[in-house]
Amino acid sequence: MIYGDRNTGILVQGATGKQGEFHIGLMNAYAQKVGGRGVVAGVTPGKGGQQVHGVPVFNTVKDAMKEHDIGAAVIFVPAGAAADAIMEEANAGIETIVCITEHIPVHDTMKALAYAKMEGVQVIGPNCPGLLSTGEVKMGIMPAGLFSRGNVGVISRSGTLTYEVVDELTRAGIGQSTVVGIGGDPVIGQTFVDVLERFESDPRTKAVVLIGEVGGNLEEEGAKSTDIPIVSYIAGVSAPPDKRMGHAGAIVEGGEGDARSKIARLRKHGVPVASRVSEIPEMVRELFSCHC
Amino acid sequence: MKLREYEAKKVLREYGIPVPAGFLLTSAGDLARHLDELGDAFVLKAQVDVGGRGKAGGILMADKKTGTATAGELFKKEIKGLPVKEVLAEQRLAIQHEYYLSITVDRSTKQPLILFTEAGGVEIEVTAREHPELIRKAVANPLMHELPPFMLRELIGTAPKEIGQVISKLYRVFLEKDALLAEINPLVTTPQGVFAADAKIIVDDNALGRQGISVNSDLTERERDAEKYGFSFVELDGAIGVIGNGAGLTMATLDLIEYYGGKAANFLDVGGGAESERVMHAVRLVASVPTVRVIVVNLLGGITKCDEVAKGIIAAGISQKVIVRLAGTNEAEGRRLLEEGGYEMLDTMDLVVKKAVAVTA
Repeated sequence: MIYGDRNTGILVQGATGKQGEFHIGLMNAYAQKVGGRGVVAGVTPGKGGQQVHGVPVFNTVKDAMKEHDIGAAVIFVPAGAAADAIMEEANAGIETIVCITEHIPVHDTMKALAYAKMEGVQVIGPNCPGLLSTGEVKMGIMPAGLFSRGNVGVISRSGTLTYEVVDELTRAGIGQSTVVGIGGDPVIGQTFVDVLERFESDPRTKAVVLIGEVGGNLEEEGAKSTDIPIVSYIAGVSAPPDKRMGHAGAIVEGGEGDARSKIARLRKHGVPVASRVSEIPEMVRELFSCHC
Repeated sequence: MKLREYEAKKVLREYGIPVPAGFLLTSAGDLARHLDELGDAFVLKAQVDVGGRGKAGGILMADKKTGTATAGELFKKEIKGLPVKEVLAEQRLAIQHEYYLSITVDRSTKQPLILFTEAGGVEIEVTAREHPELIRKAVANPLMHELPPFMLRELIGTAPKEIGQVISKLYRVFLEKDALLAEINPLVTTPQGVFAADAKIIVDDNALGRQGISVNSDLTERERDAEKYGFSFVELDGAIGVIGNGAGLTMATLDLIEYYGGKAANFLDVGGGAESERVMHAVRLVASVPTVRVIVVNLLGGITKCDEVAKGIIAAGISQKVIVRLAGTNEAEGRRLLEEGGYEMLDTMDLVVKKAVAVTA
C-alpha cells in the first residue's frame, strides 16, 4: 500500500462546502465497503460542532487531531485558501496531504510545498483527483465503480483520462493496486519519481501505467529513476505549441515538453509507449509475459 | 497571460530597473510630440504578441527626419497575421555588451530558477544547447523574499555589480507580480549604465484577479464566450469539433483524431459538472467554428449524468452531425434521448473518432 490503507483516518478540509460534503459521502461509502476507517473528521473554520454525513466538523486541524487519529487529509477549499490549508495540515503533522483544489496561483503552491517539505510531509496535487488503493482506501474524487483489485499501479497528471485508462484495464481483466492522480499544474508535490519510488517498495504493485501529457519533463525523470516495469501513454501529440491545453501545466514552452520528444525519450529508456489509450491493456499484458 | 513589452517595461521601471526612454504610439501622428525626447536615432517596435517579431519586420530603425513616415509604414503592417495597433518608440542605446537574465518556475525543483549568462545576444536555447557551461543557474527558496547576496555573486561572476542589483529587483517583480516568467533579453551595458533593452513578463492566469489584470483584449468572440462559460478552449483548423471533460481526456481525443488520419477543429474541455445548459453552450460554441463539419462529444466520469448531457446536445439544435460517447450515470436514458433525437451514440472513444474521421474524409 502506498500513502495509506484501510486503517488511515482521513481529515477533510472544506468539509461543509458542496464538494467537501458530496465527496465525504462517497469516500465513506467506499470505506464502508472495504471495512476502512474513511473520513473521521472535517474542518471548516467557524463551523466547528456541526456534522457532515455523521462526521464531526472542527474549526482547526489541530482541534481535530486532538480527538482523532489522522494520517491523511483531503483539501476541497477554494483556490485562495488552499495553500494555507496545505500549510495548516503540514504544521499539524499530517503525513499525506491530497489537494483537490484547482486554480491555485503557482507562487502560493511553491510556498506551501516548500513549507510542507520543511515539515517532512507529502503533498499530492494540487489540481488532482487524489488516489484510490483498491480494497483499502479512497482519498479524493475518483469514481470507485470503475476500479478492480489487482497489481497494476497507475500514475497520471489528469483526472478523467485516468478513469478512461482504469476502465480499459478493468474491462480487460487487469486489476489495479493503487491509482494516483498527481495533478495537472506546473508545480505539484509528489511527482512521477516520488510515486514510482513508493510503487517500487509496494509488494502489491508489479507494473505501472504512467500517463503523462505535454509540458515539462517529469515523465522522463520518473521513468529513468525506477526499475519497475512501465507502460506509458502521453497525451497531447497533436497539441500546438504555446497553447495551454486545459491544464495549467499542459503547455509546450520554448520548444520544450512536446509529446513527441517525450515519447522518444521514454522509448529510449526502454519504456513502451501506447499510441492510443485502448492499446494500454494489451501492452501491460505483454509486460507481464516478459517479466514473470 | 503575457504582458506586452511596454507593459512589462512599465513594471520594471516601477521596481527601479532602468529601461530606455520610450513612448507608446497608437498612430504615426503620435510620434511628433515625442521627437525631441527620443533624439536623433530611435527604434520603433510593434507591440504584437508573437515570437520572432524582429525577423518578421516588426522592429524598424528610425531617425528624427523620417520617423513619422517609418511609423506610418509599421502601422500598416501585419506581423505574422496580427495587425499593428500599438508601437513602442524607444531611444536607441549605445550597447557595449549584451547579457541574458530570466527567472522561471522550475517544475523539477518546484522553486524559482534564475538563469544568467554573459554570453547574451544569441538565442538562449542555442546557448543552452551548444555552451551550457556559459549559463549560470540558481534556485531560490520560495519562502525567502529576497535573493541572498552570495547567490547574486555566484550568478554575475565578472559582470558589473549593477547587474546583481537588477537580478535582485527582477526577483521582487517575479514574486510580487505572480510571474511564471520574468525575462530581460537582452540586458545591456551602455556608457550610461545598465538597461533592460527588451522585457517579457508572463503573469499566472490563476493570479490575474489579485493582480488586478483584466483578460487580454485580443480574444476572439468565441474565446470570449468560452471564457464566459468557463471552458478551456483552443481553436485549431480541422473539420472535427471536439468536446470532452477533463484536459487529459480531451487531448487524448484530439490525438486519436490525428492517429486515425483526421484533423481536429478545436480543443474544448467543459470541465466538471456537465449539466444540460453548459453542454448546450459548448455544442453551439464548437458548431460556430467555421471549419467544423462534425462534432465528437467524449464525456466520461462517475458523476456525469448522461441524460443531462443528451438534453444539452439536443437543445443546441445545430446543423452539423454530432457523434457521442458517454459513460456515467443514467446511461440508458441518455442513449434513448439521443437516439430519439437522431444522434449517434457509440460505446468507445475509438469508435466515435473513427466514425467522425470517416464522415469528414
